[in-house]
Amino acid sequence: MTPIIEMRDIVKVYPNGVVANDGVNFSVEKGEIHALVGENGAGKTTLMKILYGLERPTEGEINYKDRLLELNSPLDAIDNGIGMVHQNFMLIPSFTVAENIVLGEEKTRSGLIRQDQAVQDTESLAKEYGLRVDANAIIESINVGMRQRVEILKTLYRGAEILILDEPTAVLTPQETQELFKAIRALVDQGKTVIFITHKLREVKEISDRVTVMRAGKIVGTLKIEEVTREGLARMMVGRDVLLSVDKPPSDRGQAVLQVHDLSYVSDTGVQMLKNMSFNVYAGEILGIAGVEGNGQTELVEVLTGLREASTGAAYIDSRDILQADPRVVRMAGVAHIPEDRLTNGLALLATIDENLIVDRYFRAPIKKGFRIDQGAVKKLGNRLIEEYDIRTINGQVPVSSLSGGNMQKVIVAREFSSDPKLLIAAQPTRGIDVGATEFVRQELVVKRTEGTAVLLVSADLSEVMSLSDRIIVMYEGEITGVFPDASTVTEEELGLYMLGVQRQDVEEMEAVL
Amino acid sequence: MKKVLQSSAMRELLRVLIAITVALTLGFIITVLVSDDPIGAYKSFLFGPLTKLNRFGDWIEESITLIFLGLAVALVFKAELFSLGQEGQMVLGALAAGAVALFVPLPGYLRIPLAIMAAMVVGFLWGLIPGYLKAYLDANEIVSTLMLNVIALKIYEWLLTYSIKPPDAGYTASATFTAEGTMPTFFPPIPFLGELRTLFMQQTNISIALYLMIIATVVVYYLMYHTPFGYELRMVGANIKFARYGGINTKRTIVLAMAVSGILAGLAGAHVAGGIHRKLILNITFGLGFEGIIVAILARNNPLLIPFTGLAYGYLRAGADVMERTSDMSREMVLVIQAVIILLVTAERIMPMIQKRIRTNRAQRNGDPPADAEVIPAKGGD
Ligand SMILES: Nc1ncnc2c1ncn2[C@@H]1O[C@H](COP(=O)(O)OP(=O)(O)OP(=O)(O)O)[C@@H](O)[C@H]1O
Ligand SMILES: [Mg+2]
Repeated sequence: MTPIIEMRDIVKVYPNGVVANDGVNFSVEKGEIHALVGENGAGKTTLMKILYGLERPTEGEINYKDRLLELNSPLDAIDNGIGMVHQNFMLIPSFTVAENIVLGEEKTRSGLIRQDQAVQDTESLAKEYGLRVDANAIIESINVGMRQRVEILKTLYRGAEILILDEPTAVLTPQETQELFKAIRALVDQGKTVIFITHKLREVKEISDRVTVMRAGKIVGTLKIEEVTREGLARMMVGRDVLLSVDKPPSDRGQAVLQVHDLSYVSDTGVQMLKNMSFNVYAGEILGIAGVEGNGQTELVEVLTGLREASTGAAYIDSRDILQADPRVVRMAGVAHIPEDRLTNGLALLATIDENLIVDRYFRAPIKKGFRIDQGAVKKLGNRLIEEYDIRTINGQVPVSSLSGGNMQKVIVAREFSSDPKLLIAAQPTRGIDVGATEFVRQELVVKRTEGTAVLLVSADLSEVMSLSDRIIVMYEGEITGVFPDASTVTEEELGLYMLGVQRQDVEEMEAVL
Repeated sequence: MKKVLQSSAMRELLRVLIAITVALTLGFIITVLVSDDPIGAYKSFLFGPLTKLNRFGDWIEESITLIFLGLAVALVFKAELFSLGQEGQMVLGALAAGAVALFVPLPGYLRIPLAIMAAMVVGFLWGLIPGYLKAYLDANEIVSTLMLNVIALKIYEWLLTYSIKPPDAGYTASATFTAEGTMPTFFPPIPFLGELRTLFMQQTNISIALYLMIIATVVVYYLMYHTPFGYELRMVGANIKFARYGGINTKRTIVLAMAVSGILAGLAGAHVAGGIHRKLILNITFGLGFEGIIVAILARNNPLLIPFTGLAYGYLRAGADVMERTSDMSREMVLVIQAVIILLVTAERIMPMIQKRIRTNRAQRNGDPPADAEVIPAKGGD
């Protein structure tokens, strides 16, 4: 079979001197699902941005349908039927789904946009590919899963034949991922071609026909899916053996570090997001929170870390109520927080790595000396953490925005892990990071817990919750519907029933083990 | 890394130089169209400030004001606060410094520092107000500072007219400050410059404000990049949600940023009152209140660059002044030329756009299609 796309000898050097692609040869066949995998910063996004006309290659050429493809901007790519859904979504939050989908290609009648037509087009397109969306909803009000479907529909509306999906499943729940896969298969059945970037090797095995592995800007190899195993892929990506499962010594549970009593929270719009939640997190244990995203997990974490004001209840750390305290006080009480939305909360993209690493400690020794910030100490800390957490960068004085997605996450993890917390609240800690880094973060979580830190883990990745946690609670519609004191004995199916609200345990039954 | 930095700094410099050249050429074209003696008029514009010692002095004095104001703006802009309150803070700073200079019976070596302090305190307080409104009531700082400017101006005019103006004076102005209330001129006794030094001291009004300005620049730089407050300020500007998540008291930072910025605008007021005019007059800010914005934008809010952009912008204004006075160019045309130059230099997007065009064209030319392949035509492009 002849490839539909052939990228030849692609080299990309960014203005800051980073060589993101180093002689890449990459080809895709018509009608296949082609997975692209590799470590954080391997150059996957860069390669796809080149194919989409967002970045110009320093060297190399693209052959498309046996012709040389000259791309000056994404418009050219779209004209040629190449569409891309980005790692970070690019929708207009205040517009409706239909408006976003037709944006720039609106059908008009006497100069006015035909809203009804947009809605109609959206609905028929959605039906055709089995991508469920609400055409009239405002983007702001819909969840990530639907936003992603909107992004995909948007590219299809522009006539894409080749779809590039950059880490589409990183933000999805397992159910949503399954739906997405169904849609992808439908697309391929209709003759479209899909390039799919992911860090989840299970998904690679499940959905793709072929897989290309990148490492440090080069192609390691392209393989048929039957020829690979997850372990083999991981080894190709990282260049060493990777533990895909967590090795965990038995938990040595200590005192309760966090005691939550009767916590309720009503959002600004008057919706009760948390209802009378009570639970403890003990020193030396990982308490996992399972639940379909959007059932109050985000609110719970933000209320506990001082980012939202709780309506009622109390949360004690060492007999000190931190519920109405501001984030500084919460942090000083010994709480570290890996936020779920790293670009909004976790980082200042335009600030340097060093500056991002000191936000929780710039006001005390050894960073603060007298009344000034000791630049020497900042640099030293930066260099140490960059080394220890393997953040791929030239140095700590470059803006975080120049890092790859996974390395951004490592900056947050480095800062929060190194603050020596009593309680570590980790929300989606491995979202979007590669197998090597995931292994690292999971191991570190276990190490911290074994050293006696209390860990509260919130993750949409059910297998992550199950393999890391010592104890699991399930949240459904802002309530605790089940507690499992021994995480190693529950099954995915069992958790699923509680997550969907089909089953719930007695309040008395739960109280004993909360 | 160093090389990259250097080359990008070089490119930046080149960018500004090209912009200035284009702007000056455009300015000259306008002059040719309007003036009977374009060469003479344009010469007075380009070299005017250097032709006489007192003109040179005027240039430096006005630049000092611009630099204080530029520092004030850079401080708030760095925190992404679009405060436009420098005008009001400056007016009240002038009022406070003037009141001390006129009415506090202390010897000069105490009265002048007190006047300067008073201007700083008043500027601080007048910045505190919009800071509070923004941080705790979420009032838009652009609106609130513009309103406060009007209030400040009216307070100034009212006090000047009814309390400060000597009853027998023919026009609305205070009495001229005595030597005890005037910022003294000072020129360091550099041995080889013996003659020049006395000339300078006699023919210009360049006062100790010059040294205050230098100190202020260093202090603002240090504050911004080497203190916890500066860090808070920059992080609030970079991403306020991140700042809050990290534990920074963002409300306090906003209030303080606005207030500290007011100190510098207040100093500008002390300088115009005690250093330039040596009395309080109507319209004492001379419309300079908003010019600090240009100075700060040109310097990209970098305090260490502000003295240079302040001097450059001051030179432009001084040259325009000389041209207006010595040639047949009208004030309006002079302002047009000035605006064109500013527009071109600040238009940060223009050069990158041209660069991209050139790159695209070059790539297209080099990417000559091989004989057997057909180039898919590129539509659009940006
Ligand atoms: N705009 C940019 N300017 C400078 N360097 C960049 C830029 N974008 C990416 N890089 C660098 O190029 C390299 C490759 O980045 P890229 O985003 O392609 O990685 P990736 O494989 O997509 O990683 P991830 O899985 O973390 O998303 C990284 O080292 C990154 O720091
Ligand atoms: Mg990427």
